[in-house]
Parts: sequence; structure tokens; C-alpha cells
Amino acid sequence: MPVLFLNIIKLLFIVLLFLFLWQVARSIRSHVGTNPGARQEGTGAELVLLTGSEETRRVRVRHQGHVVGRSPDADIHIDDPYASEFHARVGLQDERVIVHDLGSTNGTYVNGRRVTNPTSASRGDTVQIGKTILEVR
Amino acid sequence: MSRTTEAALLVAAALLAAVGVAITEFTRGNWLDAQVAITFIVFLVSFGGFYAAVRIWAPGASSLLLPTAAFLAAIGFVEIYRIDGDLAAIQRWSLIVAGAVGAGTLWLLRRSGVAILNRYRYVLLAIGVALLLLPLLPETWPIQGATVNGSRLWVRIEVPVLDRVLSFQPGEIAKVLITIFLASYLAERADAMATVDRRIGPLKVPEPRNLGPILVAAAIAFLILIYQRDLGASLLLFALFVTMLYMATARSFYVVTGAVLAIGGGVAAYLSFGHVARRIEAWIDPFAVYEDAGYQTVQGLFAMGSGSLTGSGIGLGRPDLIPAAATDFIFAAVAEELGLAGSIAVLAAYALFVAAGFGIALRSKDRFRKYLAGGLTAVIALQALIILAGVLRLFPITGLTLPFMSYGGSSLVANAIIVALLLRVSHEERT
Repeated sequence: MPVLFLNIIKLLFIVLLFLFLWQVARSIRSHVGTNPGARQEGTGAELVLLTGSEETRRVRVRHQGHVVGRSPDADIHIDDPYASEFHARVGLQDERVIVHDLGSTNGTYVNGRRVTNPTSASRGDTVQIGKTILEVR
Repeated sequence: MSRTTEAALLVAAALLAAVGVAITEFTRGNWLDAQVAITFIVFLVSFGGFYAAVRIWAPGASSLLLPTAAFLAAIGFVEIYRIDGDLAAIQRWSLIVAGAVGAGTLWLLRRSGVAILNRYRYVLLAIGVALLLLPLLPETWPIQGATVNGSRLWVRIEVPVLDRVLSFQPGEIAKVLITIFLASYLAERADAMATVDRRIGPLKVPEPRNLGPILVAAAIAFLILIYQRDLGASLLLFALFVTMLYMATARSFYVVTGAVLAIGGGVAAYLSFGHVARRIEAWIDPFAVYEDAGYQTVQGLFAMGSGSLTGSGIGLGRPDLIPAAATDFIFAAVAEELGLAGSIAVLAAYALFVAAGFGIALRSKDRFRKYLAGGLTAVIALQALIILAGVLRLFPITGLTLPFMSYGGSSLVANAIIVALLLRVSHEERT
């Protein structure tokens, strides 16, 4: 009898341990990851300019789109020797972000893949122009 | 998770500790002992104080870290209590002090935030290095170095008022200060260090002058190994440095170089130092030196093996047969009495803590905070990995404490500071 009793307490204690961890683990999903969408209201997508891993500029994507390039006349001017004067256009179509390469020399990459036709990008995707990374948020 | 759930989980962790103590006393033939209530109150005071500080000075902080740390501390405390009641009595005071230090850290940073650490990085580095060197003081001074188990890591201070000798391991605090320095240094230099213009085979190689810091780190790690004979601290500092370098530059070159330096240093240490050679021989074939250097490892293996799936039950195993069961080998004691199931719970708790820590690093707003949170999380992760691998004989025994669980005040206090800094970084992400 005492052996059985001790075995039951032993198992109950282990069950308690896992119940505790389960409670913690349930809420970890919302804590891990960058979860960028949580901070802004509405559905408007934003382009975030990253230098290294740091955010340097943030632009709300508009319907008519922005031309990104090295030229001072580009809507989003980037100081990047690897970018063309007018490198790519980033616009909206049916609430989706569309990336359109404008015949650049070094190419435009969405998530590391070179794109030549207009390509849609969703939140969390990266657009590389020259050596500059833009993240869609 | 809301702050209320967090509070409930902290109470639950205190209950776990109390229930564990009650079971231990029950197996000794005592029904509810006063120790059960004392343990419950100590956990409530320690973590409750820390929790209150979070609510006041870092209300935006993640609510995952404290419950996980409390969970690990509770399981660790139950095993310590079960192995040696006197150690448990000291550990209770350490828990209260650690809770107060954690709360105090949040109070200190309440206005300036972690940014102030960035500003005074060289001061912090100097204090860190001084703390590392402190145990080398002669044994006749009022503040004296001391050799314990062949490693010179301890400092003793005689307190005339209390007529007591306080002893602590300054290296524990030093590792936190060095992490802060590295985060600040790398936030400034990482770009230069990540610049690569050459290749050797598949490996991108940075400029030779960027190798300076990694060589300095290897030299410091080697000096600790020689003068303090501490394999654990030496390995931990070097691994931390390589991890943070990789975190900041994303260049596998540094990891490869670090591994080469570590293996080279390991072989050199094996050939030239008796204490390292003994550890490695005890790792390769502990049964051959069972009577001597391999005794601890073998006892640990027997303990874990006898634990089987659900263990012997708290209070019913013989973890007291393992040398250093309450400190370095506490995981073997847990595996013996709570079995594979309990060990997995412990590992899962570390995984949750590390995931939460890296989550904070990913969401933090600038590089210093990213590397700080990532580095502090890496300290806990690496320390747990190194000592767990040692206990499981995947790696030679190095003599580190298992974070939050092992008996030891310095370690608890240092880990409380780490938790407080992580909470503060996570609070600042929203501001």
C-alpha cells in the first residue's frame, strides 16, 4: 500500500511539472518571433529600410507606388552604389504589395530570388535592391 | 500571458517546491513539517518581490521568464533539500537575496534603462576583469582568494560584525558584465567585422586585423584555464564570445575559427596540464579510472540509469552518493528521482527560457539591445549545455553550475541579474 501510494504521488508530481510547463508554453507563440504586424493598426503595408540589421527608414506603401533607386529623383532614394538610378517600383495592387524590377543592372530579389516580372510580396518578405534590404511589414 | 497568469504560475512554482519538500519529509516518516511552510514562504518572498519590481519598473516586460526561472529553482531546491538540509537552508537565503538583487537591478535601471550600460561599457569591462582576477589575491589578505576543489574561483571576506566569513565566486558576476561589454562593442564594430572580401574554399574570410578580438578572447580563456584551473569558466567565456560574434556578423568564419582555436587549446591543455588530462581521461573511459577521476561521472551515470522512465520518486533514490550532487551534478539527481520524464521537463523549461530570451532579442529595437538580450540568453543556454553535456558524458566534466537549479548563491544572484536585464530589454521594446 505505501509503495503504491508513493508511486501515485511520484507520478502526480511529474504531471504537475508538465502542467506548469504547458501553461508557459501555451503563451510562448505570441512571444517568440518578430511579430511585426502587431504594432500597427489597419492593413496598410509598410516598407522598412534596413541597413545591416537596423531599421533606418519606414515608408507606408501607396497605391501609385514608389520608385526605389540611387537617383535623387527616385521616390525612395537609397545611397547604394550597387543600385541602379531607377531600380524598381514597389506598389499596391488589390491590397497586395507588388515589386516590379525596372531593368536594373544588378537585379531585384524577393526573398533572395531574382525577379524579372512583377512579383507580389507579403508581410515579412524581403526585397533586395543592390545591397539594400527592404522588408515588407 | 497576462501578468495575472504570471503571478498564478509563480505561486504554482512555490507550491511545487513546497510539495517536493513535503514528499521528502513524508518518505522520512514525517507528516507536514514546518519546512514545507518555510519553503513556500521563501519562494513567495523571493519571486514575489521580483514580480512586484517588474510590475512597477518594467510593466511592459515579457511574462515568460520569471515563471520558467521559478520552476527550475523549485525543482533544484527540492533536490538540494533532499540531498542536504543544511545546504537547503543556505539556498533559501540565496533565493531571497537573488530576488532582491533582481528587483534592485530593475530599480537601478528604472529611468536610464539599459542604454546607460552601453555608455559605461569600459567601466563595466574593467570591473568584470577585476572580478575575474579577484580570486588570485593572496590568502593572507582580508579579502582573500581561496582554492576549492583545485580551482581558484572563490573569494572570502571576513565580516567582523557578524563574525562570519562570506565567500562568493566573483566570476559569476564577471560573466554578466563581460556580456554587456561585448554587446556594446559588437554593436559598434560588427559591420566592419562582417565585411568580407576574400574566400578560402567555401569560407568567406574577413580582413586579418578583424581577427584580433577573437584571439584576445582565446588568450583570456586560456589564462583562466592556467591560473584559475577552471575549465568551465574558460570554456563558457570563449563559447559566449564566439556565439555573440556569430550573432552580430552572421559569418560562419568566426565559428570555424573559434572551434579550431578551442580544439587546439584543448589539445594543448590536455598535453600540458595534469588537471585537464585527468578530466579528459575520465570522460573517454570513466570506468577505467572509476576509483579516481572517473568516480563522479560513473556515479552520475548509475544514478541516471537507475532513474528509468519516472524515477525512484523524490526522497527514495540515493543521489547523495554522487559527489557534488547539489551543485554540478544536480541534473543526475533529478534524473534519478524524477526519471526521464522529470529530466525532460527540466530540459523543456530551459528551452522555453531560451526561446523567450531570443524572442526578446529579435524584437528589441537596436543592435546593442539585440546583442545584449541574445548574449545574456546565450550565457544561460551555453552554461546549461556545457554542464548537462558533462553530466551526460557527452563532454568532459567542466564544473559549472546548472543555472537556477544548482546550489550556490553567486550563481543565483548572477542569474537574477541576467533575468532582470532581459526583462528590462523586453520592457523597452515598446517605448
